[in-house]
Amino acid sequence: MSRSAVTDSRPQSQQVKGSGSLLRWRLTRLIGPSVLLGPAGLWLLLLLVVPVLLILRISLVPGLRPEQAITNYGLDNYLQILQPTYLRVLLRSVTFASGTTALCLVVGFPVAYWLALIAPKRWRNLLLVVFILPLWTSSLLRTYAWITLLRTSGVINLVLSSLGLPEQNLMNTTGAVLVGMTYSFLPYMVLILYASLEKLDLRLLEAAADLGASPNVAFWKVTVPQTLPGIAAGGLLVFVTSLGDFVVPTLLGGPSSMTISRLIYNQFLGVSRNWGFGSALSIVLISAVSIAIALLLKYGDRNPDGFS
Amino acid sequence: MPRRSSFRPNSSRRLFLQGSAAAIAGVALSNCRGGVSDVQSGSQAADSSSPTSSGSGTLNIYTWADYTDDELIQQFTDATGIEVSVDVYDSNETMLAKLQAGGGDTYSVIYPSDYMVTQMVELGLLTKLDQSQLSGLETMQEKWKNPVYDENNTHSVPFVWGTTGLIYNSAALSEAPEDWDYLWNNKDKLSRRITLLEDVRETLGAVLKSLGYSYNSTDPAELEAAYQKLLELKPALASFKSFGWQDELLGGDVLVSMVYSVEGVPVSQEDTDFKYVIPSSGSSVWTDTMVIPAAAPNAEAAYQWINFNLQPEVAASMAERLYLASPNEAVLDLLPEAILSDPSLFPSEELLARCEGIAPLGEVSALYDEYWTKVTSA
Repeated sequence: MSRSAVTDSRPQSQQVKGSGSLLRWRLTRLIGPSVLLGPAGLWLLLLLVVPVLLILRISLVPGLRPEQAITNYGLDNYLQILQPTYLRVLLRSVTFASGTTALCLVVGFPVAYWLALIAPKRWRNLLLVVFILPLWTSSLLRTYAWITLLRTSGVINLVLSSLGLPEQNLMNTTGAVLVGMTYSFLPYMVLILYASLEKLDLRLLEAAADLGASPNVAFWKVTVPQTLPGIAAGGLLVFVTSLGDFVVPTLLGGPSSMTISRLIYNQFLGVSRNWGFGSALSIVLISAVSIAIALLLKYGDRNPDGFS
Repeated sequence: MPRRSSFRPNSSRRLFLQGSAAAIAGVALSNCRGGVSDVQSGSQAADSSSPTSSGSGTLNIYTWADYTDDELIQQFTDATGIEVSVDVYDSNETMLAKLQAGGGDTYSVIYPSDYMVTQMVELGLLTKLDQSQLSGLETMQEKWKNPVYDENNTHSVPFVWGTTGLIYNSAALSEAPEDWDYLWNNKDKLSRRITLLEDVRETLGAVLKSLGYSYNSTDPAELEAAYQKLLELKPALASFKSFGWQDELLGGDVLVSMVYSVEGVPVSQEDTDFKYVIPSSGSSVWTDTMVIPAAAPNAEAAYQWINFNLQPEVAASMAERLYLASPNEAVLDLLPEAILSDPSLFPSEELLARCEGIAPLGEVSALYDEYWTKVTSA
């Protein structure tokens, strides 16, 4: 154990005292970590672990309503999710989230690349702040702004019709949801990609150029692989947050925009008040997100510098 | 069931609340089941131990956004010296969830709708009202003296009633909607220009009614038929919206919206291009009431609030400001003829006879929810 080195460095007098004092010393060694980690640990335990376990318990009671006592356990709630109706809801949520992630990557990468590598150095921090500025307002307000832009009598259609172009049905569509969610989550993607691109070793690009690689080849063979961890982390963050987004699909989506978060809401606060089913859906969402994060932790950060 | 929402200024805040509610739903709700949730009610619990301290303290009421205003609260505080703090909800079920999650000892007065009164009585959440402490009930209209949802008003005091109907842009539509079938008959012309309530009981209920069935049908075959008929209308729908429909309707993006009268009538009063109509084959008619939760703090003040709202002058002035239809004959006597003759607020008895109240469904509500998920995910 590497700790032995630390132990050895203690004064000789402490070493030779009896095993009692060694135990005491070991205990004092635990105080540091518990003082430092205790509050956060307690916080996580009380506000994350315990509630999730409670949700798990409720999810195992078939069709539990709030006023009912728990009498029997079973997997009925989870089997209910396997019905086509609910699978379709899950599929839509995943589609919305993957679409948003892809759009964020396509739009965000050039921006982060420009910020990290091309923009004048002294402006970088300011430009970054400008880019994150939208995050300072409520996501609800930003979504309402999109309604003003997208609706039939909105700004975009006003511009189109003044150019003599036909009116477009933009509001209450899947496209509107994707645009709204991409806008909401783009800053996260840009921030993470920026952090990743900023660390890019420019000497490698010079070496690639020396060895005859065109800028295009160098980009795909050097820059992209080196920023892959950033792409994975940014993509995951956007995917996870957009998977559970409630506001944008509700406000911008059309009559067919039921997502898993809205479905969960309906189970708790809707007409059927089926807390058991709602909890099962929550557990599915929590598990999906946790698995994605676990995969990222296991594979995402492997060899982040590419060559070191 | 999401019920009436506020007028524009509040809807964004409410949606934000809904959003955060969904975000924290799992955590918060599970906490509540564990019984760890009386954080917010700590100070109120202290009040409940001394209910005799009337004329002091704060009265917490939990109500629909449209049912109080600053003027009313100021009048009450001036008259009694009791401060009032108002929280709003947008659906009976949200209110019930909060109460069941341990908020029952926070509020002194709540405004549940008819069917919810029945449900809350069954769950033992309401105080049996001490009739000797109430005044002004004797002038209630006959219909509300012994309502089906609460025998002899044992637990509730009728506050306001209304309907569900359609509000439409009369400047843009050549033919005025008269019945639900108007939507199906004009679905090509109205493509993506209709909004329906994001409320399965009302929306599916209306389709059931248009098929000649009951608003509260529990027959699976009838529900299936209604579901199929609603699917036919989907290409004509912009979205399902209980709140925030005002912007799109007033802006001309949407031409017909299904709304609650308490929301729709004020819009039609502000702009005469927009007209509220109760479909001729019938719709839902509802009564919202004032109740005192079983664990209410400061019950004395709660009775004072209810009695204050029962005063004909107070209620009449509210009815004029907020376009509320009162079930109290003494209030109607004080209202101008222009309001009393408005069929959107006071429809004919003949039409009302075709309307139904929303009734609790029990187990069948799961089927409604399933069809709702099907409709919104098809």
